[in-house]
This record gives sequence, C-alpha cells and structure tokens, in this order.
Amino acid sequence: MIKKYYLFPIAVGLLGLIAVLTIPLGGAYWARTMLCILVAAAAGVIAWYLYIENKTLLAQFESLKNDFKAQREKASQSNRETKDMRLQVQLLKRQKRNTEAIIYSISDAVIVTDASDRLLMANEPAGEIFGFKLEQATLKPIDELVTKNELVKLIKSSRSSRVRHVKHELVFESAETPSTYNCTISCIYDDDNEVCGVVVVLHDITREKEISQMKNDFVSHVSHELKTPLASITAYSEMLVDGEANDEKTRNEFYSIIQNQAQRLNRLIEDILNVSRIESGLIKVNKESVSTALIVRDAVQMIKSYAAEKEITVDAQTAIVFDQVNADKDMISQVVINLLSNAVKYTPNGGKITVNSEVDESEGVARVTITDTGVGIPADEISHVFEKFYRVKANNKCAKGTGLGLNLVKQIVEKVHQGRIFVTSEVGKGSSFGFELPLVSAEKVMAK
Amino acid sequence: MDNRKVLVADDEVHIVNVVAMKLRNNGFDVVTADNGAEAYRLCCEEKPDIIITDYQMPQMTGLELIEKVRSNPDLKHIPIIMLTARGFAIEDEQKERLNVAECLSKPFSPKELLGYVESVLQSSAAK
Repeated sequence: MIKKYYLFPIAVGLLGLIAVLTIPLGGAYWARTMLCILVAAAAGVIAWYLYIENKTLLAQFESLKNDFKAQREKASQSNRETKDMRLQVQLLKRQKRNTEAIIYSISDAVIVTDASDRLLMANEPAGEIFGFKLEQATLKPIDELVTKNELVKLIKSSRSSRVRHVKHELVFESAETPSTYNCTISCIYDDDNEVCGVVVVLHDITREKEISQMKNDFVSHVSHELKTPLASITAYSEMLVDGEANDEKTRNEFYSIIQNQAQRLNRLIEDILNVSRIESGLIKVNKESVSTALIVRDAVQMIKSYAAEKEITVDAQTAIVFDQVNADKDMISQVVINLLSNAVKYTPNGGKITVNSEVDESEGVARVTITDTGVGIPADEISHVFEKFYRVKANNKCAKGTGLGLNLVKQIVEKVHQGRIFVTSEVGKGSSFGFELPLVSAEKVMAK
Repeated sequence: MDNRKVLVADDEVHIVNVVAMKLRNNGFDVVTADNGAEAYRLCCEEKPDIIITDYQMPQMTGLELIEKVRSNPDLKHIPIIMLTARGFAIEDEQKERLNVAECLSKPFSPKELLGYVESVLQSSAAK
C-alpha cells in the first residue's frame, strides 16, 4: 500500500504533468517534453525533500507521542498514588478519631507518650488526676505534667526496658484522702520492633480497697459479736453440767443468761439476714395502718431495762394525735429499737435519752426523734454512719457492734417505707437520730 | 497461806461473772473490771497474782492494759492470760514481747481456763 507521505509529491508531479499537457503553450514538442521532465524532476525533488522532512518529522512526532504517553502514564500513576495517599490519610484520621473516642470514653485515666516521653494523648480523668489541661498539654514532657514522680519513673523505665505490659499498685497522697490506683503500663512498638511510645491506664481502686477493708472488719466484728454470746452460752452450760451452780436461784439465773444470750445471737443473725434480704428485695413486708406513737411506746418499754443497767433515763414524749402510717410494724419496731439501743450504747452512765414522736401535718409525715447525751459523732464521719459495716472510729472503744444496725434502719425506712432518716450530732454533747414516714389519710383508715 | 488473787477484766458482765464464780469456787480471790482503765487502776491497788483480760474493751484495750502493766516496774512480773473473741488478737511477736502467758479464744471452757490459771501460776512461782 502507498504510504501517505508519497501521495503529496505524486500529486504535485501529476498536477505538473496535467498543467504542461493542458496549458496551451506554443513551441516545439521537445521543448514541451523538456518542460515535462523539468516539472517531473522538480516534483521529484520536492517529493524527496518532503519525504525526508516528513520522515524526520514523523520520527520526532513518534518520539513526542511516546514521551507524551510516558508522561501521561506517570501522571496517572501519581494520580493513583495521590488518591491512595488521600485514602490512607482519611483512614488514619478515622483511626485517630476512633482511638480518641475510645480513650475519651474510658472512665479510667489514660496517658499516651511518645519515644521521647512527651504527651501524645490523654483523657479528662488523667487531666483531673494530675491537674493539666488537655489542649495545652500535647507534646509537653511527661515529667512537667505528671507530678507523681513514681509514675514518671515507671513510664520511663517501661519504655527503656521494653517490657510489653507491667502492672503496679500506686498510692497517690493528696490533701484529702489517699487514692489507690491499679496502674497498667504497655509499650507501643513500631515496624522495627522499637518502642515508639507508652500507654498508661490508671484504674481507681480506692473504693474497692475500702469495701474490702470494710468486709474484713465486718468478718472480724461479726465473728466477735457471734462469739461473745456463744461464749456465755457455753460457759454457763458447762457450769450447770459441772454442778457449779449450787442452789436453785443460781441455776435459774444461769438458765436465764443462756436464754438471753441465745436470743442476742438470734437477733444478730436476723440483722445480718435482714440487711441481705432487703438489699436483694427478698424480704416479706406486711404493711398495715399503725400508730408510730404506739410502736415507740412499746420499744421504749423494751429498752428501759437495758438503759437502767447504765442508769440512763429514757424520757418518751408521744403525741396523742392521729399518727397512722402504712408500715410493717415489726420492721419499724426494729428501727426504733436499733436507734434506742445505739443511744444507750453510746451514752455514758447516768445520761439521758429523749424520745419524741410527733406529726408534721404540713409535711404530711410522722416524725420520731431520739436524742441522747452520748459521745457524739465527729463531723467528718457523720455522713458515713448509715453505710453498711461502717463504725465511727473514735467511738469504737465505747461499744461493740457490727456496723449493721444503722444500715438496717436506713434500708427499712427509705427502701421499704419510702421515708427519710436524719441525724445531727456534736462530739461530747450527744446525737439526735430520727426518721419520718408518710402519714396515711384519716379517710383511708376510716374507709377500711 | 492467803488465797491467790486474780483480776478479771472484760466488758461482758456475764463473762466476768462466770469466770469469777469458777475461780472463787476453786479458792481464788477475784477482783473484776469492765474496762481497761479500771483494770489498770485495780492492778495498781490490788497487785493481783494473775490477770485475765479481754482484748476489746472500752477506754483502754486489753493490749494497751498489758503494755501499761509491763511498763510498770511494780506490776511487770504479773503473769497475764488473754481471753478474747478476736481470732487474731495479738501476733506471736507481741505475745512474746509482752510476756503473755496464754492467749485463749472465746467460746471457752471455764474448766480449761481454771487449768491454765493454775499452771501459769505454778510456772510463774517456779521462776
């Protein structure tokens, strides 16, 4: 097939020939032939020149085309790479946001440092513990931010020793109470297995420690409280068996002691079980319309002999008004007895206990208040007295107890009867404990 | 020979009474206290031959009582028996340091307690 670049000179030659043949020139035949040859030669030369020129141009064009192709290839390659990188950046940003969301949502304090022990990331609890502002702390050296030297040392030593995970229990002393933390330090490794950072998680176990201590104290107290009446029962039984009680009167006295101590043991076990039952919602409650004044009167009668042993006078003022509450009589009796026996326990010999039962119509409640002239409770401990197993340290020596009585009072009044408990106290002067229960309307009682 | 004198200190009145009765029935003189401070005062006044004390008592614990008795030159020789419902009243090291002859746990047998009192007094006299 004829290549395209031959077409032009051939066309020029043919045109020249046609021109020569057709132009009406005068002259001889040879002159016309010569002109034809000249035109053809000229066309050939032009064609040759064009051919050569064209070939060079084409070569250049081909080269340019190839260059262009290569450039275009390169451009699309770098375009793809840019797209990939943009995706990777997006992915990394998303991962960072995920990590931040995870760290910020953790209630434990989290600190992340880099290979130079500078802060990379931290959450609010960490800022609160160490008193730094997150937005101003990034990339600051950790020893400038964390005031607890022991923790800074642990972070640095974990990074240098390259240990994957390490756990410590740290106690941070503060102006108030010391806090205990379970501290987990983990190293972050890069692709070359070099440590490029450290993650610190601080889990506050102060409360767990307190509960554990309270449980230990409880076991100790309960075993002591259980063993004490048991000791009387076994000792007096042995005396009876061994015939150490010579006369009828002494024997009867021993029988009575054994019976009383067995009842004391039973009451203690009941207290423990009741707290547990109320907490788990398994207790059977028999609510009926009862008078608080009557419950108080019976309880005062019961406690009088115990108070008399310490020459404590019990003065009861009960209102002669409509004071019916919808309550479980036995449970509310237990509340009053617990409060009264506590008052006797913590009041020195010769003291006084005043019991006041009244109705507050404006509030729609029946209120019972028991005031003693006892040892009182220090201000910083008063908010804890209703906690389970809690015992006022300063008063530990005054009397024995399990730390359950007041908790039981709180559970019965608030959880079972939707009432309210209250306490005021002054060290050396005495305490005032009481509770309020919602009154039943007179119409309701009449309707029944 | 005079009866040997025992000081019984416990804030549980029934325990004090039963121990006192068992000892009196067996020829001992007994003085009693319901708190640590009273027990120490009686120690100084009565100079008992042996002390039986509870651990947890008002005003002064049994351990504080023992510490005070041991630091008083007139009383420090008196043998002491601890009678307690606390499972871990005192450590072995404390028992040795304070020269506590026996540490008995409640519930207890008055008969056994009497046996301990007699043997502690015998070994104390032998020294």
